[in-house]
Amino acid sequence: MGDMTKGNIAIAEAAVRAGVEVFAGYPITPSTEVMEYLSTRMDDVGRTFIQAESELAAINMIMGVSACGRRALTVSSGPGISLKQEGISYMNQWEFPAVILNVVRWGNGLGSLHGSQTDYLRETRGGGNGDYRNIVLCPSTIQESVDLMYQAFDLAEEYRNIVVVMTDSGIGQMMEPCEMPEFKEIKKCDWGLDGTYKKKRGDFLDRNIIQESNDYVAKLQKMRENEQRWEEIETKDAEYVFVAFGTCGRVMSGLVQELRKKGEKIGLIRPITAWPFPEKAFTQLKKENKNIKGFITVETNGEGQMVEDVAIYAKKCGFGNLPIYCLPYVCGVPKDKQIMNDFNEIKLGNKKEVF
Amino acid sequence: MKELVFAGFGGQGVLTAGLIISQIALYKGYNATWMPAYGAAMRGGTANCTVKYGEGMIYNPGQQEPDLLLAMNTPSLKKFAEIVKPGGTILVNADMVEASELSIREDVNIVPVHCNILADKANNPKGANIVMIGAISKLMGDFDHETGVAGMNDMFRKKGKNKFEAQNAAAFEAGYYAV
Repeated sequence: MGDMTKGNIAIAEAAVRAGVEVFAGYPITPSTEVMEYLSTRMDDVGRTFIQAESELAAINMIMGVSACGRRALTVSSGPGISLKQEGISYMNQWEFPAVILNVVRWGNGLGSLHGSQTDYLRETRGGGNGDYRNIVLCPSTIQESVDLMYQAFDLAEEYRNIVVVMTDSGIGQMMEPCEMPEFKEIKKCDWGLDGTYKKKRGDFLDRNIIQESNDYVAKLQKMRENEQRWEEIETKDAEYVFVAFGTCGRVMSGLVQELRKKGEKIGLIRPITAWPFPEKAFTQLKKENKNIKGFITVETNGEGQMVEDVAIYAKKCGFGNLPIYCLPYVCGVPKDKQIMNDFNEIKLGNKKEVF
Repeated sequence: MKELVFAGFGGQGVLTAGLIISQIALYKGYNATWMPAYGAAMRGGTANCTVKYGEGMIYNPGQQEPDLLLAMNTPSLKKFAEIVKPGGTILVNADMVEASELSIREDVNIVPVHCNILADKANNPKGANIVMIGAISKLMGDFDHETGVAGMNDMFRKKGKNKFEAQNAAAFEAGYYAV
């Protein structure tokens, strides 16, 4: 077991070990320690660190690095990621992979500094203009942050798509022990620009848009088929199945096990990919579980965002009109007692389903 | 699993105190989490962090019902006294909190320690927080004197700050035997 390590520092080191060659970003709480750490660490290992003049500059620097087939990372929080949406949309269009870390903070506009899950819909729906999706990885511990960041560049390059790692102030600012993986060998992607003008020039007007779209949709389907990740606890005979990711997923992993010991027939699906959503967990559950009375999402936002996906996939996977509840706690780390009280209210029929 | 809340003014070393206790816990072979209250709370108001340690995975790292509260000033005592577990402990900086404030709850053990004075006597005037780490180690009953000092020194050594080892050990000892 390693020493106490801050989530933001651990995830930054994991990116270094995964072979990130260029970091460009602009500071914002609660993500700033990532930049602060990389400002010296990247130099130590002979890589490039740039504090950009703005978020817009940072994402375009990342785009340039990616176009050359090199591993690039940018980091921000809610409002900063909003500013990067144009670049993210362009990068998915041109198939320039990169990893973007969003240490989510609560709120609209400038928001606040509190950890929250208010960016779920933005991250899982693409965020910028167009028809794309990002792979969205949602760690719930610092070790998982390290492990997912370590894999994120491989995933981005495999699909030539943006991968978002979505943490929050909680996971980013907290400390716990973790282990670091070995350094990966740095490789340039063979499709990267090399200054020799060997590639065919694009023509904005002379394009087969239908084919372009079909190709991208085929890629989306491949990602959906291959990249769904989740963890589940005690779902097979559960009457109520909780669904929670990130900080809430971590809290629920413990609470579900604790309440099981007290005889509550409950389970948990913890999405590790918010996109692609772990539909397969619901398909499997439908086959195995005949006792289920409802799904309950636990989220830190105002009225639930992931609850929409749970409703969509519950319907798609054959759960019919099974009630879908949501326990939203706005921000921070939900308290076990509060969740237990609210769960009781659901069982008593006092708290109604959302869908 | 034990929960501790460390609270005080920014600059009193409460976040570091929490970190040291969590490192001592790791040193002993426990798991631990450390979570700060973030942002505006650090300027002028109270800074605080929550530490949990124990066997196995710690699922909820958030502030819930601490077994022990370290209150380094009066606002921290007033703000956090109510969340302490009944039967728990509130360790108070007696150099900054009036004795009249110490009856804030009757169902918990309130322990005043003159940590600033003790730190001065230990020739470690910036080590009031470390005095309290000693006191906490004793009050929680999970770390003996040797383990506490060894775990603390191990942390500072890894940060390359081992030149204060003797002074830190003295401050720790002063707190450990003050309660």
